[in-house]
Amino acid sequence: MTTAVNTASIGIERSPGLWSLAWKRLLRDKIAIVSMVIVIAFLLLALASAVGLVAGGWNNEIAKNYAPPTWFKGSTTEEDLSKSNKSAAAGPSLDTGLSRPEFVNDRDPLRDTITELKQQLGQSTSGGADEIKIVDPLADVIAELKKKLGRTGDGDANEVEAEKLSSLAFGADKWGRSVFDKVVQGSETSITVGFAAALVATLIGAFLGALAGYYGGKTDDFLNWFYSIFNSIPYILLVLAIAAVLNKKGILTVVLILGLTGWASIFRVVRAEYMKHKARDYVRAANAIGASHARRMFVHIFPNISHVILVQLSLYVVIFIKSEVILSYLGFGVGVDTVSWGSMLNEAQNELILGYWWQLGAATLFMAILVTAFSLFTDSLRDALDPKLK
Amino acid sequence: MTTPLLSVRNLRVSFRIDRSNTFDALKGVSFDVMPNQTVALVGESGSGKSVTSLAVLGLLPKENAKVSSDSQIEFDGKNLLALSRQEIRELRGDKISMIFQEPMSSLNPVFTVGYQIKEVLKEHKNLTGAAADKRAVELLKEVGIPSAEERVDYYPHQMSGGQQQRVMIAMAIACEPKLLIADEPTTALDVTIQKQILDLIAEIQKKRGMSVLFITHDLAVVGDIADRVVVMRNGEIKEQGTTKEVFSAPKDDYTKALLSCRPAVDSRPKRLPVIEDFMAGRAEAMRSEQRARGVRDADPVVLEVKGLCKDFYSREGLFGKKTFHAAKDVSFKLRKGKTLGLVGESGSGKTTVGLTVMRLHDATKGEAWFDGKNIFAMTEKEFLPYKKRIQIVFQNPYASLNPRFTVGQILMEPMVIHGIGKGGDDRSKMAFELLSKVGLPEMSFYKYPHEFSGGQRQRIAIARCLTMKPDILICDESVSALDVSVQAQVLNLLQDLQDEFGLSYIFISHDLAVVKYMSDEVMVMSNGEVVEHENSDTLYQAPKHEYTKRLLDSIPKGLAAT
Amino acid sequence: MAAYIVRRLWQIVPTMLGVILLIFFLFNVVGGDPAYLLAGKISNPETIANIRKQLGIDEPYYVQLWIFIKQVVTFDFGQSWSTNEYVSSIFATRLPASLMIGIPLLIVEAIIAILIALGVAYVRGSLTDRAVMVSCTVAQSVSILVYIIVFQYVLAYKFGWFPVQGWGNGFFENLFKYASLPILIALVVSLAPNIRLYRTFLLDEINQDYVRTARAKGLTENRVMLVHVLRNAAIPIITNLMIQLPGLLVGLFLIERFFSIPGIGREVILSVERSDFPVIKAITVYVALATMLANLAADLLYKAVDPRVELK
Repeated sequence: MTTAVNTASIGIERSPGLWSLAWKRLLRDKIAIVSMVIVIAFLLLALASAVGLVAGGWNNEIAKNYAPPTWFKGSTTEEDLSKSNKSAAAGPSLDTGLSRPEFVNDRDPLRDTITELKQQLGQSTSGGADEIKIVDPLADVIAELKKKLGRTGDGDANEVEAEKLSSLAFGADKWGRSVFDKVVQGSETSITVGFAAALVATLIGAFLGALAGYYGGKTDDFLNWFYSIFNSIPYILLVLAIAAVLNKKGILTVVLILGLTGWASIFRVVRAEYMKHKARDYVRAANAIGASHARRMFVHIFPNISHVILVQLSLYVVIFIKSEVILSYLGFGVGVDTVSWGSMLNEAQNELILGYWWQLGAATLFMAILVTAFSLFTDSLRDALDPKLK
Repeated sequence: MTTPLLSVRNLRVSFRIDRSNTFDALKGVSFDVMPNQTVALVGESGSGKSVTSLAVLGLLPKENAKVSSDSQIEFDGKNLLALSRQEIRELRGDKISMIFQEPMSSLNPVFTVGYQIKEVLKEHKNLTGAAADKRAVELLKEVGIPSAEERVDYYPHQMSGGQQQRVMIAMAIACEPKLLIADEPTTALDVTIQKQILDLIAEIQKKRGMSVLFITHDLAVVGDIADRVVVMRNGEIKEQGTTKEVFSAPKDDYTKALLSCRPAVDSRPKRLPVIEDFMAGRAEAMRSEQRARGVRDADPVVLEVKGLCKDFYSREGLFGKKTFHAAKDVSFKLRKGKTLGLVGESGSGKTTVGLTVMRLHDATKGEAWFDGKNIFAMTEKEFLPYKKRIQIVFQNPYASLNPRFTVGQILMEPMVIHGIGKGGDDRSKMAFELLSKVGLPEMSFYKYPHEFSGGQRQRIAIARCLTMKPDILICDESVSALDVSVQAQVLNLLQDLQDEFGLSYIFISHDLAVVKYMSDEVMVMSNGEVVEHENSDTLYQAPKHEYTKRLLDSIPKGLAAT
Repeated sequence: MAAYIVRRLWQIVPTMLGVILLIFFLFNVVGGDPAYLLAGKISNPETIANIRKQLGIDEPYYVQLWIFIKQVVTFDFGQSWSTNEYVSSIFATRLPASLMIGIPLLIVEAIIAILIALGVAYVRGSLTDRAVMVSCTVAQSVSILVYIIVFQYVLAYKFGWFPVQGWGNGFFENLFKYASLPILIALVVSLAPNIRLYRTFLLDEINQDYVRTARAKGLTENRVMLVHVLRNAAIPIITNLMIQLPGLLVGLFLIERFFSIPGIGREVILSVERSDFPVIKAITVYVALATMLANLAADLLYKAVDPRVELK
């Protein structure tokens, strides 16, 4: 379908198509530009992290344990830090928190966590580990943490400590790793998972939706039945069920879980669009001039609904980034050798009680900025592509 | 001379499109409405007639509409533009009320019609309870709703379009307003219903002695009911005067064109004069040159349809299936170079016949003989070479062109599919030729549909059909969505093409005047059946079937006096 | 009407069968041999064979599927693999807690979201509207995990306004003492998306012709918004609320987990962590059934609020 006459040769400027009109509208929208710049910055960051330009050494213990952010002149001084590493005085308000007997209950994972941490830091408690394991879902995680802590404990801590930095741009975690590097690695994970899973879900959902909506009849009945199965199981339940079955961790697993379960919503949207468009006069006209089914589906209808697919795709990115964080938090997501904002939040949860909030802050901030920018961009994209909706 | 009830002076309204652009919808409009008078505001789309009516009621969207400070709208001694929002709200529905084009969407779907009428009574007359119930029923009776006691509890969707518009009128006259604004109240209705609603408005106007501001695009409609006519174009008033003056001695070229570009039932000029013809002063000559229509048995037949039936199914009950007969036993012969008109109201099955003939629907029963073969019995593949020989132009020019294709792509696609022309250069050359044939500049080749007006898009659609050199062209309400002046241009084009290529048309329309102008023979359809099939002159002069007579009676005749 | 309900219930059968097939495929075909999981470290071939026999997974697939279907129909999924509690008793004891969080949440959330949405829809396009919309986007971008961690830490742990976690026995004790913070957090999390959704529902209606008619009738702006617009927008809002209900049972899993609330959601996490297949299978199947029934109920409700709908 290319026009044979070269437009430039006869000196006529080519008219703007709908895409370039939409692009112009998008560029007129300030929020769109700002959010687009932020999203692109994140993409570049993720790319740089993937090829090892930044945050390649996130796993190195370069700073003192729980080193605070450089700019943070709060209560936690270096003195406090070393104290907390060596002696018993762990968190700032640990004891007062626990002395409220009415709120303490047998199955208190927070208390268990604290107990564990206290134990780790040399203070003895009465709680037995076996007993905790039955009631505490975090017990395994803590056991893992214990192992890791042990790793640093084995070396001559005092000696190494002296060479390590006492503060970092975004602070350090339990083992003195740079929170900044981790959060950058987390961006890479989130963006990879978000985009890859969105692509998988969109490809499946859009293709099936196009078939069902265009052909209708028996094809539609069957695909709709298939859709209703996925639609009737709450999304998160299906994700967790598959996670339970696969019992395998890693980025690819997460991408597949999210992509294979998440296609239902785009299926419905694309199916409805195809049903609407196949009855439109321009498709009837295409039929009248003898265009085949495939031609009508992909050459005629597809370009007219591609903006809907694009918007759905970017909605998916946001949903999947958020889902990955939850999966990884629960320990069903990426493995221990990969950083995710979810696993950072998991560690941060325990640190918060001890007063070390920067890992939580960093993961929250990065995620909020990326997801906000992406959502605002999606909104602007939708407005630019379909000005009638405004 | 009495003082006017409504006096609009120098009304200027502009809309903000975006930060830097504004659009001047009204550029200084002035007219009066006297008490007990009907004034018609006539204009095509974009003339600003609806904006005028919304400005009177203070209903312009407050986000982006701006009324100039030196504009004046005086109603009953009050300057409406100076009133507070509270004051103008109290006036609305009480002293000035309004009815709209689409009665279905203008009524709130989730409340009964009685509730919606009583709402006005409560707001302005503080009438509630049994008294309000009684008044609502009275009002429904007044607008001619049968068994009003029962219908008062109906929801809008349970009524027909005509009844819905009657309910709107009942609501509008509930508080005995001094002025009723009717914004295209009959445009969405079938022609027989249109007549009833027009009669109702005229009757109520006389009985109540109120004034009516009647807004329409169709001059013919107002001839019977208006005392004065105001003709608008592009936000300006072109001409105003008594109905008699405007109809019998129009001064402005645009008014003249408006009056004559709608085909009349009793004359058939060779070409319809359009505004350019009036400006060039050749319109009068054109009008005298008449065209003869009709078919004889000797004319060769290109398509013969026998016993065409088309059923649609819908699901009902536990296992039930409901059948709807859209077309029942339709038979006709289409003759070479002639036009077969297909008229009927909505739901009559005329479009179904058109789409089935070219196999956009599968026929339930029947045969269609074309070129010695029954095309209904062919497989999809066998039919492909015949497909290009029967083409269609749809009603909505905004929907029938793929918005993602350039005009060049639109025109060359069928050539590629059917292997017409040798390679791209040949095809684009043919496309350029066709563009000039349908009266579009060559530049159009590189443009997208959204850059064209409705009439131009319809030309593109026609050019697309011509690429395949069809024998038969089906025009499915092809000019119904166009403004009358544009409509005339497209009709002229279709006529020229028929003269040049000897095309056979199946011309489907609800508009009897247009069908009469275009057709050699006419088929009248009602509820899926053909009720009358006759040479068009015979049919219009001596209709035999009751339904045909009723249809013909409903055609607005323009000025009643002439 | 009756015919409609019967037909819709009849339509549930094939979908339910599909759900059963999907779950069966996941757990019995993809899931591999659970005997190894169960046998744990001290696995010798005999114990494994023994466990396989007990679970019935040495049978061919079609027999296993038949057993599964029988389990679904008789509501008897046997015992949990890890706690030996009967699956039916797990349902009976966990459901009340989930409902105690879910139902008040749904009611309070609907009221607040509709009110705010009405407000911003009325001033659409203004600075307030845009500010609220952007705040909603930002609020939605923060993970639910952060809300839970921070609220629990600050409001319960630091300030002591709420219990850090737990669940009691009395109805009012649970509702006002233990459920209030979880509901508050869930409220904060779910408000943002719903305000945005309800705003679009309202804006769809505001541009309708009948709103112009209502104004032309001289009705007050309050009446136009609260009677005409809201009554029409209520149709999609109510449907949306109904459909949310079953998802809520498991959707609150994070909150239930953090606050040690013995609800269905927490049970899901626990059984996933323990690879407790019978419990996951049962919850998935029945929540799917609940979803389908809720959709049916939503359609019936639709009929009640929208006179145009005819159930055929």
